[in-house]
Amino acid sequence: MKALILVGGFGTRLRPLTLSVPKPLVDFANKPMILHQIEALKDVGVTEVVLAINYQPEVMLNFLKDFEAKLGIKITCSQETEPLGTAGPLALARDKLIDGSGEAFFVLNSDVINEYPFAELIKFHKSHGGEATIMVTKVDEPSKYGVVVMEEETGKVDRFVEKPKIFVGNKINAGIYLLNPSVLDRIELRPTSIEKEVFPQIAADQKLFAMVLPGFWMDVGQPRDYITGLRLYLSSLRKRTPSKLAGGSHIVGNVLVHESAVIGEGCLIGPDVAIGPGCVVESGVRLSRCTVMRGARVKKHSCISSSIIGWHSTVGQWARIENMTILGEDVHVCDEIYSNGGVVLPHKEIKSSILKPEIVM
Amino acid sequence: MGSSDERVVAVIMVGGPTKGTRFRPLSLNVPKPLFPLAGQPMVHHPISACRRIPNLAQIYLIGFYEEREFALYVSSISNELRVPVRYLREEKPRGSAGGLYSFRDYILEDNPSHIFLLNCDVCCSFPLAEMLDAHKIYGGMGTVLVIKVSAESAHQFGELVADPITKELLHYTEKPETFVSELINCGVYVFTPAIFAAIQDVFMQRRGKAELRRVTSFEALQSATKSIPADYVRLDQDILSPLAGKKELYTYETLDFWEQIKTPGMSLKCSALYLHQFRYTSTHLLASGNDTKRASITGDVYIHPSAKVHPTAKIGPNVSISANARIGAGARLISCIILDDVEILENAVVIHAIVGWKSSIGKWSRVQGGGDYNAKLGVTILGESVAVEDEVVVINSIVLPNKTLNGSVQEEIIL
Repeated sequence: MKALILVGGFGTRLRPLTLSVPKPLVDFANKPMILHQIEALKDVGVTEVVLAINYQPEVMLNFLKDFEAKLGIKITCSQETEPLGTAGPLALARDKLIDGSGEAFFVLNSDVINEYPFAELIKFHKSHGGEATIMVTKVDEPSKYGVVVMEEETGKVDRFVEKPKIFVGNKINAGIYLLNPSVLDRIELRPTSIEKEVFPQIAADQKLFAMVLPGFWMDVGQPRDYITGLRLYLSSLRKRTPSKLAGGSHIVGNVLVHESAVIGEGCLIGPDVAIGPGCVVESGVRLSRCTVMRGARVKKHSCISSSIIGWHSTVGQWARIENMTILGEDVHVCDEIYSNGGVVLPHKEIKSSILKPEIVM
Repeated sequence: MGSSDERVVAVIMVGGPTKGTRFRPLSLNVPKPLFPLAGQPMVHHPISACRRIPNLAQIYLIGFYEEREFALYVSSISNELRVPVRYLREEKPRGSAGGLYSFRDYILEDNPSHIFLLNCDVCCSFPLAEMLDAHKIYGGMGTVLVIKVSAESAHQFGELVADPITKELLHYTEKPETFVSELINCGVYVFTPAIFAAIQDVFMQRRGKAELRRVTSFEALQSATKSIPADYVRLDQDILSPLAGKKELYTYETLDFWEQIKTPGMSLKCSALYLHQFRYTSTHLLASGNDTKRASITGDVYIHPSAKVHPTAKIGPNVSISANARIGAGARLISCIILDDVEILENAVVIHAIVGWKSSIGKWSRVQGGGDYNAKLGVTILGESVAVEDEVVVINSIVLPNKTLNGSVQEEIIL
């Protein structure tokens, strides 16, 4: 089986992290975002994943070389020379997705973290016999998104309504599709929107079905949602494979610690914390609701909450980092510094406190 | 003037990518030394000035950037000037004098009688030939270019005291807390090859001598020992300061303009200074407003030959327009740098701004800065490929590359 992941653009909302790597390679819960999706696809029998990219192809291609061998799955790139929207890339990758077997293929948006219930999706798709299945998720404020209006029992999609002004439904497109090869006949090689042009056509032919995504769903394309997403992910991990989470008297709630990370004495870690490979957390440190990325060092007696510490950064002794502080790659916060929502670009040294949310270039 | 034995080598320090984060967001797309001021890359201005030195044998650019970033520029400028220009990459930070010392074999290859050392991010008239003449008369090991500034601003620089008659450098101190002198170090020097012996002396003295020095906590944690590495030698503190008053170092004062180009805002100011200087040195580079078939020009303006400017646009003063830019009908540009491939649509207004490569400015939109070159948000900067939609107003803001602005913004940094 095959899959296409729409990797797309510049990831500007996740800056400063995306100033160092393209968005799919930004770590989430200690591994590159896109790896979560690729592993889940492999588990359900996908043998080839095509990445539709249009930015920094060299970096992505290097990543592929490393992971293809490790994962035992074929990974290729389909590079857009001009932005093709959300459907155009499928037409571009047509030859890679159709192999004559008539098997359906997956299409995923890259920013989305969830439990990837692909086996259930395949089952549902086969049972309704339609042309395409999309996964939808329930949200509290549907008018911020595109709402999918569907029949509750059969899942048959009636129509899409973009940012509806009155309540028409509370299910939105979760960015996971299973499509029959015939869908590709509906897509031209030009900038096209799958929600505005392709799916409405299939719905009109009564051949589009939707399945409600079980479990959590989060678009982690911006820092606030990234932090919330980690909480949901770890909570889901607690239910499925609790052995992966850290334990001990210094751990509170759900905490993920990479095996190569080192934690000192007298720390209190959690809830909702991820500590990446090679990190060093010195003694007396308090961490809550934060991500510490690969190679970072958190020095003694410091306190970090609701923040993201970028690769190879350091947080000084007695520093206090909170309120959506995002440190880019190789940022060094001096001892005793306070950061309230500082957003710091890579390769900076912070020598004075940041009292209110501010971008430090 | 100058016998055939007197060869001169010039060395220009260009810095590196993780230093100078103050030049962001422009430095996210181009190494600072290659950012254009008055239509020419920043490093081009000192390089051009070096041409006026008699018997110039070679120019070296020394920095931390990858060689490939400078390869194209260096080969084309060598061709154009008919002087060999070569980029040398520093492997690790050794301080300004340490870096110079590490390349002494290259520099001394031509057996030069004099060596110029310039900082790339200095904007001035580079009176190098006059400085060399003065240096020869003084007969010392080195001569420092100096300028008088206001007493209030002097503390930001290296302050020096010079003998008013002999011009000898009597005292030097870097960024002092109390007032020492209004004369400051311009970052342009000429030395005899004896400078290398002086630097070597510093290494010798360092060995076995514990040095007490204020370090930031970050620096202290970085170095394996508590002292600076033996091969880290700073020109100012380790050479100029100790040798002051020993009849080795002299000063040459410039009465022209001088600025440091540390931030994008300053690059706009320095671009204006160089444009103004073109009136005296290269009038052919300035656009003239005499042709009625072409756009209306006021003040100093540079327009690349491949740029297209609509005849009803009004450009200037202090505007620099780079290659393949397109300026639409009725546009008004004042005090700005328009980079390559920018498209400015009809009736747009750009004032006190830098518009990044491939950006587009919509119809009737207004991109404006307050004009305070030193303020963090005093000049509006648009990074590469920024799209400002029709009728949108952008004031005193910095926009990182690849963003689209469909609503007005003021006093904001947009990542």
